[in-house]
Amino acid sequence: MEKYEKLEKVGEGTYGKVYKAKDKSSGQLVALKKTRLEMDEEGVPPTALREVSLLQMLSQSLYVVRLLCVEHADNRKDASKPPKPVLYLVFEYLDTDLKKFIDSHRKGPNPRPLSPNLVRSFLYQLCKGVAHCHSHGVLHRDLKPQNLLLDQERGILKIADLGLGRAFTVPLKSYTHEIVTLWYRAPEVLLGSTHYSTGVDMWSVGCIFAEMVRRQALFPGDSEFQQLLHIFRLLGTPSEKQWPGVSSLRDWHVYPQWEPQNLARAVPSLGADGVDLLLKMLKYDPAERISAKAALEHPYFDSLDKSQF
Amino acid sequence: MAANFWTSSHYKQLLDQEEVDVVHPLDKEKGITLVEFKLLKMHMANYIWKLATHVKVRQRVVATAVTYMRRVYTRKSLSEYDPRLVAPTCLYLAAKAEESTVQARLLVFYVKKMRTDEKFRFEIKDVLEMEMKILEAINYYLVVFHPYRSLSQLLQDAALNDTSMTQLTWGLVNDTYRMDLILVHPPHLIALACIYIASVLRDKDATSWFEELRVDMNVVKNISMEILDFYENHRMNMEERLNAAMAKLSLKF
Repeated sequence: MEKYEKLEKVGEGTYGKVYKAKDKSSGQLVALKKTRLEMDEEGVPPTALREVSLLQMLSQSLYVVRLLCVEHADNRKDASKPPKPVLYLVFEYLDTDLKKFIDSHRKGPNPRPLSPNLVRSFLYQLCKGVAHCHSHGVLHRDLKPQNLLLDQERGILKIADLGLGRAFTVPLKSYTHEIVTLWYRAPEVLLGSTHYSTGVDMWSVGCIFAEMVRRQALFPGDSEFQQLLHIFRLLGTPSEKQWPGVSSLRDWHVYPQWEPQNLARAVPSLGADGVDLLLKMLKYDPAERISAKAALEHPYFDSLDKSQF
Repeated sequence: MAANFWTSSHYKQLLDQEEVDVVHPLDKEKGITLVEFKLLKMHMANYIWKLATHVKVRQRVVATAVTYMRRVYTRKSLSEYDPRLVAPTCLYLAAKAEESTVQARLLVFYVKKMRTDEKFRFEIKDVLEMEMKILEAINYYLVVFHPYRSLSQLLQDAALNDTSMTQLTWGLVNDTYRMDLILVHPPHLIALACIYIASVLRDKDATSWFEELRVDMNVVKNISMEILDFYENHRMNMEERLNAAMAKLSLKF
């Protein structure tokens, strides 16, 4: 690990600290994701293993954060003590994430909306990345603005933190319940569905899309129940007709009957094409929800110069 | 879903038979021949399978573990990477990678229970150390595609999915892990070879179905021949040959 000079701690991942560092020989900035290995317990955490193996597979996409290498080190501060083995995932370094970026447009010295073209470009790249993951049989399961890294100068967005990702097989087996961060969690997950699929990521993409436009979260629930109510209040309480099977999901209860609101009012600055795409991402029935690949072809992106991606 | 194998690291890591059939110089010095090398790997695969029945993991996990073990020995020697430790550790790692973690102490417990060599002792920390070494040896490439998934789809498509054919082909696929096929061939071709053999054994006419598939039947037939050769070769005095090979490495397990 002498190859790298640690510059500062930039965050805490799902299983360890993240440092900004410099490759001493090349001068390249990198992000080091540190994972302590509890050698007296269970070795390399499965989340780290999963992330490494998925990244090995997905890292060739421009829209997934690039894993440069994996370094194994014995951090021995004191020669008399036993070594503390540590695994470092070495990633390319990106200067900010979408959460910080949106925050900087909401508060601070110069609050202003994100430019519509930037929102379009970021959403397109996000869909590209998600389509790439899905075509490799990988669900991300935890898409949120904090997990989308930005290269501000070049206007590039990349998906990171695949710790909860999982290679899926057909038929979809039951996954561990409770995984996606609440605000971006799809209704089928909130209702206890055990057979969910790529739609969970597309729901999150829809929420992130709306958040870029509004500069605040679309459904900021603070409990699972609250989260559902937020969704139902805006999109209407789902019916069996709209979403066959919904009332037999494990956690379905009788909810107040809300009528759907006009979604366009929640995203007033978004044009008709954008609202149409958002509606397709926020379809209740996961089977009806637009796929990442189909989203890339949506008219909302017609004005985008796709040749740059 | 069809696209994923072809863009996977598994596909990119497929090797030529000649690359797999290399006895590491350190093992060669001890007199290990290619035939013995294969035999030892087969024994390890069987051992992993046996161990897995104790710790109760899915077949897919076992298949992944065997694949890791085979990948390790394309790069490392049996002399340096003790098979008695590599086998349980591959199972440990595969269980993690396939999201059905098995506790290290449980594995160590069952290895001790199955123990055949009183002198060989190892503890949890040895498994964890070997885990690191294996990860580095296989360069953290942990995703493996198996023939099982295509097998059920193909059988259904060929309308050969009756119980007898399903069981027979499934068993054949399990046996392919006693060979290096998974390192060399795409999984769906291994599945097809197993269906091919089974259809001949069960006297099912699948010729037209095979003809309509857009696959190179020569490859499928070659894989089938390899499987049949394997069965042929392993009918006679296995035990003796295996013991001779293990003696060369002063191993017993």
